[in-house]
Amino acid sequence: MPPGNDNHELFENLRLELRRGSLILAVLVMLRVEHYGYTLRKALADHGMPIDEGTLYPLLRRLETQGLLVSEWREEDKRNKRFYRLSAEGKAILKPLLAEWQGINTSLNGIL
Amino acid sequence: MELLDSYLRAVKRYLPRAQSSDIIKELSDDLRSQLEEKETAAGCPLTDEEIAAFLKQHGDPMTVARRYRQDSPSLTIGWELIGPELFPMYLILLSINLVITIAALTIVSLSMRAQITWQTFTLPVIIQIFCVTLAFMAMNVVKRKFPQPWYYPPAEMAAMMQIKRGYSISGLILWSPVLLWWLALPRFPSLILGSAAAHLVLAPSWHNFYVPILLLVLASISQRVLNLFYPDWTWLLPVMRLLINAASVPVLYFLLFKSQPLVLVAAAFQGVPQYEKLAEAVNGSLVWGVFGPWLWGYAGISALVYAWYCLPHLRRLLRGKAGASSATVSQSPEK
Repeated sequence: MPPGNDNHELFENLRLELRRGSLILAVLVMLRVEHYGYTLRKALADHGMPIDEGTLYPLLRRLETQGLLVSEWREEDKRNKRFYRLSAEGKAILKPLLAEWQGINTSLNGIL
Repeated sequence: MELLDSYLRAVKRYLPRAQSSDIIKELSDDLRSQLEEKETAAGCPLTDEEIAAFLKQHGDPMTVARRYRQDSPSLTIGWELIGPELFPMYLILLSINLVITIAALTIVSLSMRAQITWQTFTLPVIIQIFCVTLAFMAMNVVKRKFPQPWYYPPAEMAAMMQIKRGYSISGLILWSPVLLWWLALPRFPSLILGSAAAHLVLAPSWHNFYVPILLLVLASISQRVLNLFYPDWTWLLPVMRLLINAASVPVLYFLLFKSQPLVLVAAAFQGVPQYEKLAEAVNGSLVWGVFGPWLWGYAGISALVYAWYCLPHLRRLLRGKAGASSATVSQSPEK
Protein backbone atom coordinates (compact mmCIF):
# COMPACT_ATOMS: atom_id res chain seq x y z
CA MET A 1 0.00 0.00 0.00
CA PRO A 2 1.49 3.39 -0.90
CA PRO A 3 2.26 5.56 2.12
CA GLY A 4 -0.26 8.32 2.91
CA ASN A 5 0.72 11.95 2.59
CA ASP A 6 1.32 12.30 6.34
CA ASN A 7 3.72 9.39 6.39
CA HIS A 8 5.37 10.25 3.09
CA GLU A 9 8.29 12.14 4.63
CA LEU A 10 8.88 9.43 7.22
CA PHE A 11 8.75 6.77 4.51
CA GLU A 12 11.21 8.76 2.38
CA ASN A 13 13.66 9.04 5.28
CA LEU A 14 13.44 5.33 6.03
CA ARG A 15 13.78 4.46 2.35
CA LEU A 16 16.87 6.66 2.02
CA GLU A 17 18.38 5.09 5.11
CA LEU A 18 17.70 1.62 3.73
CA ARG A 19 19.19 2.54 0.36
CA ARG A 20 22.30 4.26 1.72
CA GLY A 21 24.10 1.11 2.83
CA SER A 22 22.98 -0.85 -0.22
CA LEU A 23 24.20 1.89 -2.55
CA ILE A 24 27.70 1.78 -1.11
CA LEU A 25 27.77 -1.94 -1.70
CA ALA A 26 26.38 -1.57 -5.22
CA VAL A 27 28.96 1.12 -6.09
CA LEU A 28 31.81 -0.99 -4.77
CA VAL A 29 30.61 -4.00 -6.74
CA MET A 30 30.20 -2.00 -9.95
CA LEU A 31 33.67 -0.53 -9.58
CA ARG A 32 35.33 -3.90 -9.83
CA VAL A 33 35.32 -2.70 -13.44
CA GLU A 34 36.57 0.82 -14.15
CA HIS A 35 33.88 3.47 -14.70
CA TYR A 36 33.59 7.22 -14.78
CA GLY A 37 30.72 8.89 -12.95
CA TYR A 38 28.23 9.14 -15.77
CA THR A 39 28.62 5.54 -17.00
CA LEU A 40 28.58 4.26 -13.42
CA ARG A 41 25.31 6.05 -12.81
CA LYS A 42 23.83 4.63 -16.00
CA ALA A 43 25.03 1.13 -15.13
CA LEU A 44 23.50 1.39 -11.66
CA ALA A 45 20.22 2.68 -13.13
CA ASP A 46 20.19 -0.19 -15.65
CA HIS A 47 20.42 -2.58 -12.69
CA GLY A 48 17.48 -0.89 -10.96
CA MET A 49 19.56 1.25 -8.60
CA PRO A 50 19.08 4.82 -9.86
CA ILE A 51 21.19 7.40 -8.06
CA ASP A 52 21.42 11.10 -8.76
CA GLU A 53 24.80 12.69 -9.37
CA GLY A 54 24.45 14.85 -6.25
CA THR A 55 24.54 11.67 -4.18
CA LEU A 56 26.94 9.61 -6.28
CA TYR A 57 29.88 12.03 -6.61
CA PRO A 58 30.14 12.92 -2.91
CA LEU A 59 29.89 9.17 -2.15
CA LEU A 60 32.70 8.39 -4.62
CA ARG A 61 34.86 11.04 -3.00
CA ARG A 62 34.18 9.67 0.45
CA LEU A 63 35.02 6.12 -0.61
CA GLU A 64 38.21 7.36 -2.24
CA THR A 65 39.20 9.26 0.92
CA GLN A 66 38.61 6.05 2.86
CA GLY A 67 41.03 4.31 0.50
CA LEU A 68 38.45 1.95 -1.00
CA LEU A 69 38.65 3.51 -4.48
CA VAL A 70 41.36 4.93 -6.69
CA SER A 71 40.74 7.44 -9.45
CA GLU A 72 42.56 9.06 -12.34
CA TRP A 73 41.73 11.78 -14.87
CA ARG A 74 41.90 10.62 -18.48
CA GLU A 75 40.70 11.98 -21.79
CA GLU A 76 37.90 10.14 -23.55
CA ASP A 77 35.73 11.43 -26.39
CA LYS A 78 37.73 14.70 -26.34
CA ARG A 79 36.69 15.33 -22.75
CA ASN A 80 38.54 14.83 -19.46
CA LYS A 81 36.85 12.25 -17.29
CA ARG A 82 37.62 10.91 -13.88
CA PHE A 83 37.77 7.12 -13.88
CA TYR A 84 37.21 5.18 -10.67
CA ARG A 85 37.99 1.60 -9.73
CA LEU A 86 38.24 -0.50 -6.62
CA SER A 87 41.58 -0.25 -4.78
CA ALA A 88 43.35 -3.29 -3.31
CA GLU A 89 41.93 -2.30 0.07
CA GLY A 90 38.48 -1.96 -1.49
CA LYS A 91 38.75 -5.43 -3.01
CA ALA A 92 39.77 -6.87 0.34
CA ILE A 93 36.84 -5.26 2.15
CA LEU A 94 34.25 -6.04 -0.50
CA LYS A 95 34.44 -9.80 0.05
CA PRO A 96 33.41 -9.80 3.76
CA LEU A 97 30.92 -6.99 3.08
CA LEU A 98 29.14 -9.11 0.47
CA ALA A 99 29.13 -12.08 2.82
CA GLU A 100 27.62 -9.84 5.52
CA TRP A 101 24.95 -8.56 3.14
CA GLN A 102 24.06 -12.09 2.05
CA GLY A 103 23.77 -13.08 5.71
CA ILE A 104 21.44 -10.16 6.43
CA ASN A 105 19.41 -10.97 3.33
CA THR A 106 19.01 -14.61 4.36
CA SER A 107 18.01 -13.62 7.91
CA LEU A 108 15.50 -11.07 6.66
CA ASN A 109 13.98 -13.57 4.28
CA GLY A 110 13.67 -15.97 7.19
CA ILE A 111 11.94 -13.33 9.33
CA LEU A 112 9.59 -12.35 6.51
CA MET B 1 26.18 26.15 -22.72
CA GLU B 2 26.43 29.63 -21.20
CA LEU B 3 23.69 28.72 -18.72
CA LEU B 4 25.47 25.58 -17.60
CA ASP B 5 28.74 27.48 -17.07
CA SER B 6 26.90 30.08 -15.04
CA TYR B 7 25.24 27.34 -12.97
CA LEU B 8 28.57 25.62 -12.33
CA ARG B 9 30.16 28.91 -11.27
CA ALA B 10 27.32 29.34 -8.75
CA VAL B 11 27.87 25.81 -7.38
CA LYS B 12 31.61 26.44 -7.14
CA ARG B 13 31.06 29.43 -4.85
CA TYR B 14 29.80 27.13 -2.08
CA LEU B 15 32.28 24.26 -2.50
CA PRO B 16 35.32 23.59 -0.33
CA ARG B 17 38.01 25.65 -2.07
CA ALA B 18 40.67 22.92 -2.12
CA GLN B 19 38.44 20.55 -4.11
CA SER B 20 36.18 22.96 -5.95
CA SER B 21 37.91 22.82 -9.39
CA ASP B 22 38.07 19.04 -9.30
CA ILE B 23 34.41 18.68 -8.30
CA ILE B 24 33.26 21.21 -10.91
CA LYS B 25 35.20 19.44 -13.69
CA GLU B 26 33.51 16.16 -12.82
CA LEU B 27 30.04 17.67 -12.35
CA SER B 28 30.42 19.62 -15.59
CA ASP B 29 31.23 16.43 -17.52
CA ASP B 30 28.22 14.65 -16.04
CA LEU B 31 25.77 17.47 -16.74
CA ARG B 32 27.11 17.96 -20.27
CA SER B 33 26.73 14.23 -20.93
CA GLN B 34 23.13 14.35 -19.70
CA LEU B 35 22.36 17.40 -21.85
CA GLU B 36 23.94 15.75 -24.89
CA GLU B 37 21.83 12.66 -24.28
CA LYS B 38 18.71 14.83 -24.14
CA GLU B 39 19.75 16.58 -27.38
CA THR B 40 20.28 13.23 -29.09
CA ALA B 41 16.86 12.07 -27.91
CA ALA B 42 15.23 15.33 -29.06
CA GLY B 43 17.13 15.35 -32.35
CA CYS B 44 17.89 19.07 -32.07
CA PRO B 45 19.83 21.44 -29.79
CA LEU B 46 18.11 22.26 -26.51
CA THR B 47 16.72 25.74 -26.05
CA ASP B 48 17.86 27.97 -23.15
CA GLU B 49 14.46 27.39 -21.51
CA GLU B 50 14.94 23.61 -21.65
CA ILE B 51 18.46 23.87 -20.23
CA ALA B 52 17.22 26.17 -17.46
CA ALA B 53 14.43 23.69 -16.62
CA PHE B 54 16.99 20.85 -16.49
CA LEU B 55 19.29 22.83 -14.18
CA LYS B 56 16.38 23.85 -11.97
CA GLN B 57 15.44 20.21 -11.62
CA HIS B 58 19.05 19.35 -10.80
CA GLY B 59 18.82 21.54 -7.71
CA ASP B 60 19.77 25.00 -6.58
CA PRO B 61 23.54 25.58 -6.53
CA MET B 62 23.81 25.81 -2.76
CA THR B 63 21.98 22.52 -2.15
CA VAL B 64 24.13 20.77 -4.75
CA ALA B 65 27.32 22.09 -3.14
CA ARG B 66 26.06 21.17 0.32
CA ARG B 67 26.16 17.45 -0.58
CA TYR B 68 29.93 17.73 -0.99
CA ARG B 69 30.27 19.36 2.42
CA GLN B 70 28.66 16.71 4.60
CA ASP B 71 31.86 16.27 6.63
CA SER B 72 32.74 19.98 6.72
CA PRO B 73 32.46 21.90 10.00
CA SER B 74 29.19 23.59 10.88
CA LEU B 75 27.65 25.24 13.93
CA THR B 76 25.31 22.65 15.39
CA ILE B 77 23.91 22.58 18.90
CA GLY B 78 21.32 19.82 18.83
CA TRP B 79 20.13 21.15 15.48
CA GLU B 80 21.94 22.92 12.68
CA LEU B 81 22.37 26.65 13.37
CA ILE B 82 24.81 27.47 10.55
CA GLY B 83 25.20 24.93 7.74
CA PRO B 84 28.55 23.73 6.38
CA GLU B 85 28.24 25.81 3.19
CA LEU B 86 27.86 29.05 5.16
CA PHE B 87 30.22 28.20 7.99
CA PRO B 88 33.51 29.23 6.26
CA MET B 89 31.97 32.58 5.27
CA TYR B 90 30.71 32.99 8.85
CA LEU B 91 34.19 32.42 10.29
CA ILE B 92 35.79 34.87 7.84
CA LEU B 93 33.27 37.64 8.52
CA LEU B 94 33.35 37.08 12.27
CA SER B 95 37.16 37.25 12.27
CA ILE B 96 37.16 40.47 10.22
CA ASN B 97 34.56 42.01 12.55
CA LEU B 98 36.49 41.04 15.66
CA VAL B 99 39.82 42.32 14.31
CA ILE B 100 38.23 45.66 13.35
CA THR B 101 36.44 45.94 16.73
CA ILE B 102 39.57 45.18 18.75
CA ALA B 103 41.72 47.51 16.60
CA ALA B 104 39.18 50.36 16.84
CA LEU B 105 38.82 49.95 20.61
CA THR B 106 42.59 49.88 21.06
CA ILE B 107 43.06 53.03 18.95
CA VAL B 108 40.24 54.89 20.78
CA SER B 109 41.56 53.82 24.19
CA LEU B 110 45.12 54.84 23.32
CA SER B 111 44.03 58.20 21.92
CA MET B 112 42.00 58.87 25.08
CA ARG B 113 44.89 57.61 27.20
CA ALA B 114 42.50 55.22 28.92
CA GLN B 115 43.71 52.04 30.55
CA ILE B 116 43.28 48.96 28.33
CA THR B 117 41.95 45.91 30.21
CA TRP B 118 40.08 42.76 29.26
CA GLN B 119 36.84 44.53 30.18
CA THR B 120 37.48 47.06 27.40
CA PHE B 121 36.95 44.32 24.82
CA THR B 122 34.64 41.77 26.47
CA LEU B 123 31.23 43.36 25.88
CA PRO B 124 31.88 44.67 22.31
CA VAL B 125 33.34 41.28 21.30
CA ILE B 126 30.35 39.39 22.75
CA ILE B 127 27.97 41.78 20.93
CA GLN B 128 29.84 41.22 17.64
CA ILE B 129 29.78 37.43 18.02
CA PHE B 130 26.08 37.53 18.93
CA CYS B 131 25.09 39.78 16.00
CA VAL B 132 27.13 37.99 13.32
CA THR B 133 25.98 34.56 14.55
CA LEU B 134 22.35 35.68 14.63
CA ALA B 135 22.59 37.11 11.10
CA PHE B 136 24.06 33.86 9.75
CA MET B 137 21.50 31.75 11.62
CA ALA B 138 18.74 33.79 9.96
CA MET B 139 20.44 33.39 6.57
CA ASN B 140 20.70 29.64 7.18
CA VAL B 141 16.97 29.36 7.94
CA VAL B 142 16.02 31.42 4.87
CA LYS B 143 18.28 29.33 2.63
CA ARG B 144 16.76 26.09 3.93
CA LYS B 145 13.16 27.31 3.62
CA PHE B 146 13.62 28.92 0.19
CA PRO B 147 16.10 26.67 -1.62
CA GLN B 148 15.72 28.48 -4.94
CA PRO B 149 18.69 30.62 -5.90
CA TRP B 150 17.27 33.85 -4.50
CA TYR B 151 20.56 35.09 -3.11
CA TYR B 152 23.04 35.92 -5.86
CA PRO B 153 21.25 33.81 -8.49
CA PRO B 154 23.58 33.21 -11.42
CA ALA B 155 22.91 36.16 -13.72
CA GLU B 156 22.20 33.91 -16.71
CA MET B 157 19.65 31.90 -14.76
CA ALA B 158 18.03 34.99 -13.25
CA ALA B 159 17.53 36.21 -16.81
CA MET B 160 15.54 33.05 -17.55
CA MET B 161 13.35 32.93 -14.47
CA GLN B 162 9.90 34.49 -14.50
CA ILE B 163 9.49 37.31 -11.99
CA LYS B 164 7.26 35.93 -9.28
CA ARG B 165 4.01 37.86 -8.83
CA GLY B 166 4.48 37.69 -5.05
CA TYR B 167 7.78 39.50 -5.47
CA SER B 168 6.12 42.31 -7.46
CA ILE B 169 3.23 42.52 -4.98
CA SER B 170 5.55 42.73 -1.97
CA GLY B 171 7.42 45.56 -3.75
CA LEU B 172 4.14 47.38 -4.35
CA ILE B 173 3.13 46.94 -0.70
CA LEU B 174 6.45 48.48 0.31
CA TRP B 175 6.59 51.34 -2.20
CA SER B 176 2.94 52.47 -2.33
CA PRO B 177 2.98 53.98 1.19
CA VAL B 178 6.32 55.65 0.30
CA LEU B 179 4.69 57.22 -2.76
CA LEU B 180 1.65 58.39 -0.76
CA TRP B 181 3.94 59.81 1.92
CA TRP B 182 6.02 61.66 -0.66
CA LEU B 183 2.90 63.03 -2.43
CA ALA B 184 1.47 64.27 0.88
CA LEU B 185 4.69 65.97 2.02
CA PRO B 186 4.23 69.41 0.32
CA ARG B 187 0.78 69.75 1.92
CA PHE B 188 1.70 68.15 5.25
CA PRO B 189 5.38 68.92 6.01
CA SER B 190 4.90 67.56 9.51
CA LEU B 191 5.10 64.08 7.93
CA ILE B 192 8.84 64.64 7.66
CA LEU B 193 9.50 67.53 10.05
CA GLY B 194 7.36 66.25 12.91
CA SER B 195 6.50 68.87 15.54
CA ALA B 196 9.23 71.15 14.11
CA ALA B 197 6.85 71.85 11.19
CA ALA B 198 5.20 74.49 13.39
CA HIS B 199 8.36 76.62 13.17
CA LEU B 200 10.06 75.47 9.97
CA VAL B 201 9.17 75.45 6.26
CA LEU B 202 10.48 73.42 3.33
CA ALA B 203 13.08 75.52 1.49
CA PRO B 204 13.10 76.17 -2.31
CA SER B 205 16.06 73.76 -2.65
CA TRP B 206 13.78 71.00 -1.29
CA HIS B 207 11.42 71.55 -4.21
CA ASN B 208 14.35 71.12 -6.65
CA PHE B 209 14.70 67.53 -5.47
CA TYR B 210 11.01 66.83 -4.98
CA VAL B 211 10.11 66.05 -8.61
CA PRO B 212 13.22 63.94 -9.45
CA ILE B 213 12.67 61.80 -6.33
CA LEU B 214 8.94 61.52 -7.12
CA LEU B 215 9.81 60.33 -10.66
CA LEU B 216 12.23 57.73 -9.27
CA VAL B 217 9.58 56.36 -6.88
CA LEU B 218 7.00 56.32 -9.70
CA ALA B 219 9.43 54.47 -11.98
CA SER B 220 10.08 51.92 -9.25
CA ILE B 221 6.33 51.34 -8.78
CA SER B 222 5.71 51.18 -12.55
CA GLN B 223 8.28 48.39 -12.92
CA ARG B 224 6.49 46.34 -10.25
CA VAL B 225 3.05 46.97 -11.76
CA LEU B 226 4.29 45.97 -15.24
CA ASN B 227 6.02 42.83 -13.93
CA LEU B 228 2.90 41.92 -11.98
CA PHE B 229 0.98 41.67 -15.26
CA TYR B 230 3.93 40.61 -17.45
CA PRO B 231 6.14 38.32 -15.32
CA ASP B 232 7.85 37.16 -18.53
CA TRP B 233 9.43 40.60 -19.02
CA THR B 234 12.46 39.50 -17.06
CA TRP B 235 14.62 42.21 -18.63
CA LEU B 236 12.45 44.99 -17.21
CA LEU B 237 13.48 44.47 -13.59
CA PRO B 238 17.27 44.78 -14.00
CA VAL B 239 17.03 47.47 -16.69
CA MET B 240 14.62 49.70 -14.73
CA ARG B 241 16.49 49.23 -11.47
CA LEU B 242 19.79 49.98 -13.14
CA LEU B 243 18.29 53.22 -14.51
CA ILE B 244 16.61 54.15 -11.21
CA ASN B 245 19.69 53.51 -9.10
CA ALA B 246 22.05 55.14 -11.61
CA ALA B 247 19.80 58.23 -11.70
CA SER B 248 19.59 58.27 -7.88
CA VAL B 249 23.37 58.60 -7.56
CA PRO B 250 23.68 62.16 -9.02
CA VAL B 251 20.36 63.26 -7.44
CA LEU B 252 21.52 62.18 -3.99
CA TYR B 253 25.01 63.55 -4.61
CA PHE B 254 23.65 67.06 -5.27
CA LEU B 255 21.21 66.72 -2.38
CA LEU B 256 23.96 65.66 0.03
CA PHE B 257 26.91 67.74 -1.00
CA LYS B 258 25.83 70.63 -3.22
CA SER B 259 22.42 71.72 -2.06
CA GLN B 260 21.31 74.69 0.01
CA PRO B 261 19.51 73.94 3.30
CA LEU B 262 16.37 71.86 2.76
CA VAL B 263 14.38 73.56 5.50
CA LEU B 264 14.28 77.18 6.69
CA VAL B 265 12.88 78.92 9.75
CA ALA B 266 9.32 80.12 9.08
CA ALA B 267 9.06 83.88 8.46
CA ALA B 268 7.39 84.49 11.83
CA PHE B 269 10.29 82.95 13.76
CA GLN B 270 13.27 84.14 11.74
CA GLY B 271 16.17 85.45 13.79
CA VAL B 272 15.17 83.47 16.88
CA PRO B 273 18.35 81.54 17.80
CA GLN B 274 16.39 78.57 19.16
CA TYR B 275 14.64 78.00 15.83
CA GLU B 276 17.77 78.72 13.78
CA LYS B 277 19.45 75.87 15.71
CA LEU B 278 16.39 73.68 15.18
CA ALA B 279 16.55 74.29 11.41
CA GLU B 280 20.26 73.41 11.43
CA ALA B 281 19.57 70.17 13.34
CA VAL B 282 16.69 69.16 11.04
CA ASN B 283 18.81 69.89 7.94
CA GLY B 284 21.59 67.76 9.39
CA SER B 285 19.28 64.85 10.15
CA LEU B 286 17.73 65.02 6.66
CA VAL B 287 21.04 65.21 4.83
CA TRP B 288 22.99 62.75 6.99
CA GLY B 289 20.06 60.59 8.16
CA VAL B 290 17.03 60.19 5.89
CA PHE B 291 18.88 60.86 2.62
CA GLY B 292 22.30 60.10 4.10
CA PRO B 293 25.43 58.74 2.42
CA TRP B 294 24.18 55.22 3.18
CA LEU B 295 21.40 55.71 0.64
CA TRP B 296 23.85 57.16 -1.87
CA GLY B 297 26.20 54.20 -1.41
CA TYR B 298 23.30 51.76 -1.61
CA ALA B 299 22.13 53.30 -4.90
CA GLY B 300 25.66 53.14 -6.36
CA ILE B 301 26.21 49.50 -5.37
CA SER B 302 22.72 48.51 -6.55
CA ALA B 303 23.37 50.18 -9.92
CA LEU B 304 26.49 48.03 -10.35
CA VAL B 305 24.67 44.84 -9.30
CA TYR B 306 21.79 45.48 -11.71
CA ALA B 307 24.24 46.36 -14.49
CA TRP B 308 25.66 42.85 -13.97
CA TYR B 309 22.15 41.38 -14.22
CA CYS B 310 21.53 43.35 -17.42
CA LEU B 311 24.50 41.73 -19.16
CA PRO B 312 22.82 38.37 -20.00
CA HIS B 313 19.85 40.25 -21.49
CA LEU B 314 22.22 42.39 -23.54
CA ARG B 315 24.09 39.29 -24.70
CA ARG B 316 20.82 37.61 -25.71
CA LEU B 317 19.72 40.76 -27.53
CA LEU B 318 23.02 40.98 -29.45
CA ARG B 319 22.92 37.25 -30.21
CA GLY B 320 19.36 37.63 -31.49
CA LYS B 321 20.38 40.56 -33.72
CA ALA B 322 23.45 38.71 -34.99
CA GLY B 323 21.28 35.65 -35.68
CA ALA B 324 18.72 37.77 -37.53
CA SER B 325 21.36 39.53 -39.66
CA SER B 326 23.17 36.27 -40.51
CA ALA B 327 19.80 34.73 -41.47
CA THR B 328 19.17 37.72 -43.76
CA VAL B 329 22.63 37.34 -45.32
CA SER B 330 22.20 33.60 -45.86
CA GLN B 331 18.76 34.11 -47.40
CA SER B 332 19.72 37.00 -49.71
CA PRO B 333 21.39 34.95 -52.54
CA GLU B 334 18.18 32.97 -52.97
CA LYS B 335 16.12 36.10 -53.57
